[in-house]
Amino acid sequence: MKEIEQPSRNNLEGLKGWLNPTRYGWERISYWFQRLTGVFLLIYFIGHVYETSTIVNGQNAWESFLELTQTVWGHLFLIMVIGASTFHSANGIRLIFTHAGIGLGTPSRPDYPYSPSSLNYRQKSGIWIALILSAAAMFYGFNILFGE
Amino acid sequence: MESHRVLKESQIMKIHYITGIAAIFVVAVHILMRLIVPFELSLEYDYIIANYKNIIYVLILESILILISVHGFNGMRIILLELRQTKPWENMVTVVTISAMIALIAYGTRTIILANGL
Repeated sequence: MKEIEQPSRNNLEGLKGWLNPTRYGWERISYWFQRLTGVFLLIYFIGHVYETSTIVNGQNAWESFLELTQTVWGHLFLIMVIGASTFHSANGIRLIFTHAGIGLGTPSRPDYPYSPSSLNYRQKSGIWIALILSAAAMFYGFNILFGE
Repeated sequence: MESHRVLKESQIMKIHYITGIAAIFVVAVHILMRLIVPFELSLEYDYIIANYKNIIYVLILESILILISVHGFNGMRIILLELRQTKPWENMVTVVTISAMIALIAYGTRTIILANGL
């Protein structure tokens, strides 16, 4: 059987295109944040599973590992985690609705200046709500971690 | 020859969404357990061990571990497949992410079992 030829990848930008912020619109920012926060949260989760595993080595091991994280930088990192997880959850719910066709509006003729009808006020509001909830959760986390 | 797939991509996306939504609820319970007492106290050794001996909380921890591992590593697989689309790459990404997911669930479950017995 004849092998199917792999297409040339010369036209693909790969990670470089993914990280290029010069052509970002609202959906692009949301797309990038969703992936960035997802990768960040996965790395945090792996670290958290490892961190909590120190408890099986006894109280001293637990407390000495805790000392590493209970610092100003450790708390700032946790606030980043709170913000990232809140944005990822809220924007993720918006994406589930969007994938189901909810909030996309009806198709319309593309007229100049070619604003996509899918990127309507519902979608923009969803992205804003995710950002505002994220900021509020970070503020709450800041008060818990630094308020004592 | 047509390649054999265990799950269709649309089914995997449903799993991705279900695990994401479910994770929000169980993680909320996990965070509330840190907030019903002063934060510093919630990190004390005896309090944590008492958490690990509560069977309902253990089930919540195990479900967090499974839900986030499945959701997180599938999310990573989706990102990596967006960057490149060739059959060897897809196979490699699938094998690596599933292996990492199983390893993390196994390691976290080990902690839960050992801490429950302390």
